Amino acid sequence: MRYIALRSLLFDRGKLLGALSGVAFATVLLLLQIGIYQGFISTASALIDHMGGDLWVMARGTEVTDNGEPLSAGARSVVTTPSCVARARGAILSFAAVRKPGDALDAVQVVGFEPPDAAYPRPTPLVPWELARGLPGDLHPLMRVSVDTTDLKKLHLPDNPVGAELQVNGRAVFVAAVTRGIRSFALTPFLFMELPTARRVLNLADGQVHYWVLDLRDPGCAPAVIREITSRSPDLDVRTAEDFRARTQDFWVKGSGAGTALGFSALLGLVVGTVIVAQTLYALTREHEKELATLKAVGASAFELASFVGWQAAFLAVVGGASGAAIAFATQRSLVRAVLTVVLDAQVVVVAMLAVLVMCAVASLASIHRVLTLEAVEVFK
Amino acid sequence: MSVPERAALVRTDRVSKVYGTGALSSRVLHAVSFEIRQGELTLLMGPSGSGKTTLISILAGLQRPSGGRVELCGHDLTRMSESDVALVRRRHLGFVFQTYNLFPALTALENVAHVLRMKGASARQAEGAARDTLGRVGLGERVGHRPGELSGGQKQRVAIARALAGKPSLVIGDEVTAALDSGSGVAVMKVLRAHVATDAGVLLVTHDHRLEAFADRVLEIEDGRIVADRRGAYRRADEAQQGAR
Repeated sequence: MRYIALRSLLFDRGKLLGALSGVAFATVLLLLQIGIYQGFISTASALIDHMGGDLWVMARGTEVTDNGEPLSAGARSVVTTPSCVARARGAILSFAAVRKPGDALDAVQVVGFEPPDAAYPRPTPLVPWELARGLPGDLHPLMRVSVDTTDLKKLHLPDNPVGAELQVNGRAVFVAAVTRGIRSFALTPFLFMELPTARRVLNLADGQVHYWVLDLRDPGCAPAVIREITSRSPDLDVRTAEDFRARTQDFWVKGSGAGTALGFSALLGLVVGTVIVAQTLYALTREHEKELATLKAVGASAFELASFVGWQAAFLAVVGGASGAAIAFATQRSLVRAVLTVVLDAQVVVVAMLAVLVMCAVASLASIHRVLTLEAVEVFK
Repeated sequence: MSVPERAALVRTDRVSKVYGTGALSSRVLHAVSFEIRQGELTLLMGPSGSGKTTLISILAGLQRPSGGRVELCGHDLTRMSESDVALVRRRHLGFVFQTYNLFPALTALENVAHVLRMKGASARQAEGAARDTLGRVGLGERVGHRPGELSGGQKQRVAIARALAGKPSLVIGDEVTAALDSGSGVAVMKVLRAHVATDAGVLLVTHDHRLEAFADRVLEIEDGRIVADRRGAYRRADEAQQGAR
């Protein structure tokens, strides 16, 4: 039955193209919506993901990375007291005003980090993590910052901005390195700099940071460390990196409504795809009713007849889905150039393809019902 | 010399059919009893609405009678489940229709071979048998053509090849020559006549009295009753020829 089903489908090129377009359209929409959603999630928590650590210490009530408050210089001694803490790295994350070349005012996110500690036995996460120009060491001198390639236009900077000057909170900083594709959820440009520069720009005292990122000797002792720090200093919150990541993602993706909007678009794509595929399969079934009734008359089983529709639906799902995936991957590249992160990893592709398979299965139900209720006696009418 | 008695392929015993219930019910068959034997080409003739289609649907196991008994190739269809009846059809029946009912996307060979595959033949066996049968119906040169590339007569011969390829005990046809010119009609009937020679049976529903020339027997039905059961012209000619010897 597979051969007849597929030959019949391939025979009617118009209907075939229509149905394949429907499945491909649904696949593209689905992949891109899920990809953009995943992109939003990864962007929202990018700083936590790349700075790593087992625990994050912050001012009490801090919900997301972007809303932190400077901690007192004395906090360091509190967070390093527990014996399980192997290392504490300071991090500064704060919005600031930038005056761009040409005098226009805008907002940036200052990201202050500690340079890698050569004495620490375990590897330190690289911050910033994707450099297009320059080396991490170029940010070591005071008032040196990195900007991202995707923000050059926004910040009125030339294609090669190294050496260019920006005024951040009224203080002059100089571009010493360029990152590639490191963007914030709110599309506010990230300026990476070492802690002394960040403190100078944000008028923080020596030793002040927004977060302490703790590396533990044994991740299993996290609950004890949290208890010890919060009991010593009730003004501090201590969260696991996973918890803080999830809160930050929820805040931006769910709180902004972006997740709902993207989910709705994906659902719409599935509905449109289902309707198109269902119409095509039903039309093909109606066209072949006499032939199918003939097969039923000569003894074809219900399963054999249903497989006529089943094979067509499976073909549309596989070929349409693959075509849609190819289009989605091509589109992903242009979207990335248009400053939009689209994550199309294996997990996203598998989820989307399963959804397309289910879509085609649902779309085939009406046709399968039609075939199963076909009366063989119809052949005589 | 009389024609030797052969086994009954179809035996109906007081078959009746009623559509609907109560005051709206309509009886379309009234206690119909007859037999169709091996080696017979039988015509079932009658005006529109006389019950021809209902009768052949019932004896092909496509509909259940309201009363009576139907035996097909030794199987009592009225006592069997739907799936068992389907197996009997698969094993013993071939169908030919006025509208051919061929898959337009498949070649003549594929249309015939598919039914054989469905009946359990391997791909190679099915293709060989399909090619052979198409050759027998005069379409040996057209096996690779799709229905859209064939004339009405050729399409009907493909449909007949599809019906005959599985060597069915009985071929049931519905107005098989209605859409054909007289030349094509004769060619089709010759093919069916040749099939009867293999001890199979053919039952054709038709309005066309010219087909009597190929018939061993003619059943006439009116208002759901068999009103005549007579020898066809072919049988008469055959008997006359044998008598002359």
